[in-house]
Formats: sequence, C-alpha cells, structure tokens
Amino acid sequence: MNDQERPESLGPGGPEPEELSCEESLALVYEFLDGELPAERNEAVRRHVQKCRRCYPHFDFERIFLDYLHDSGRPVRASPDLERRIRALIAEDEA
Amino acid sequence: MVAGTAGSENREAEISEDRRREFESEALPHLDALFGLALRLTGGDEPRSEDLVQDAMLKAWRSWDRFESGTNCRAWLMTILRNGFINSYRRDRSGPVKVEFEEVAEGHGSGSLYEADPEGRVFDRLVNEHVLRAIEELPEEFRVPVVLADIEGMGYQEVAQTMGIPVGTVKSRLFRGRKRLQVSLHRFAIESGYLP
Repeated sequence: MNDQERPESLGPGGPEPEELSCEESLALVYEFLDGELPAERNEAVRRHVQKCRRCYPHFDFERIFLDYLHDSGRPVRASPDLERRIRALIAEDEA
Repeated sequence: MVAGTAGSENREAEISEDRRREFESEALPHLDALFGLALRLTGGDEPRSEDLVQDAMLKAWRSWDRFESGTNCRAWLMTILRNGFINSYRRDRSGPVKVEFEEVAEGHGSGSLYEADPEGRVFDRLVNEHVLRAIEELPEEFRVPVVLADIEGMGYQEVAQTMGIPVGTVKSRLFRGRKRLQVSLHRFAIESGYLP
C-alpha cells in the first residue's frame, strides 16, 4: 500500500483546494474526529476521506473506537459518605 | 475580653462561614467528576481514588483564597487532583515502569486491531473493565491526557491547561496513547477469545 498516493481528482477545473495524501490524513485522524482542526484543514481531511476508499474505513474504525472509549467513562457517583467526610474535614480544618 | 474584640471575632466567624459556604457550593458539585477522574487515573482503585479526592478537596479548600471566582473551578480542582495523583504515583513507583509495554509497537501496522477487526465489532464485546485495564497499563504521560480527553471529554486546550503542557504535546500524546490503548485492547480481545 502506498500511503503517499493521492485520491483521484474529481476532474480538470480551476485551482484545486488543498489535497492531502493518505498519510497526511491519517496523521490528522484524531484532530479531525475531535473537532480540533482549523476549518480549512478540517475541510481538506473531510474531502480526502470522502473520496478515499482506503482511508474511509480507517476513519470509521477510529470513530467507533473513540465512541467506545467515551462511553466507557459514563458518569460515576462518589459515595455520600465521601462527601460527608470532606465536609467534616473542611469544618475541622476551619476550626 | 472587650466588646470590640468580641465583635471583630464574630465578624471573622461570619467571613469564615461565608467562605466555607462559597467553597461548598462551588467545589462540591464537582465531586462526582473528580471521583470519576481519580478512578480512571488509578485504574479503578476505589479506596485510593477516594483518598485522592479527599486530599484534593482539602488542598483546594486551603488555597480557596487563591481561586479566582468566575474561572473554571472544575479545571482548577482537576489540576489539584491530577498533581496529587502524579506525586503519589512517582512516590510509589520509583524506577522504570512497565518497560515491556514501552516496546510494544504503535500504529496501524500489520497485526493491529484495525487489521484484525476493521469494523470495530470487538468494541461491542470488550467491557468497561478492559478499558480500565488498558488505561492502567498506559505510562502516565499518555494516560493522563487520554483520561482527560476521552473519558472526561475535555478539549485539547483544556487538557493542555490542566496538565501544564503545550497543545502540540497534548496532540502527540493523545495520538500515541490511543494507539497504545488499541494494542492493549487487541491483546485482551485475543485473550478473551473474541479475536483469533
């Protein structure tokens, strides 16, 4: 597999917007999925992934992985006893 | 005791009471989030997590005068807890940690979880406990940003602020930390018989 390969262009036309290689896109996969890329970069990655059959499943896999990680962190509740202990500690510390 | 002194003592008691009420209303609502963070950082050790939260709250209370009202109280408390965790971690584990794991390859090379299960079906079968174990195995510098971003849902800027590191470092540690998690999860999936 040649990671440097660029996806097929949509055809001739005016000046093309930024084209990313597979390697460049994959390096940005998390920043893209985390919504942390500047708008222009974000658009370039989105365009590449839409066109690239090799990268699309990769991005899909990473999205599923991140959702899984996030879901594993569902909120936990501290025990009421911990809150009582902390309130007592603070009151004691204040005295 | 003269009347004036008693009056000023009462005033001091009132100020002190206000200060405590303010702390309780601003800081205590973040208790669950702090406990959740502690649980992930310690890899599910409840007693140790409760100790971390208790210590962090006491430290926060003692430095309450230095907290700027209106700024991000949750991030401030997280920083205190995270520092407490890192200090205890360093105390408890002197010397190299999990060197064998450092040598595990990262990325989407041959034998990766992606190659074994490109549709990510295995994530339906791996349970919370697997994630906690995988996170526990991460070296601290990767574990903390992964927990903050992926479990606590912080953005890169907030992680950077909480950890006191540049955003670029957050990006690279998250990237590598997540790849390492996949390596561990792949191993657990094989051990559990979910993948060949």
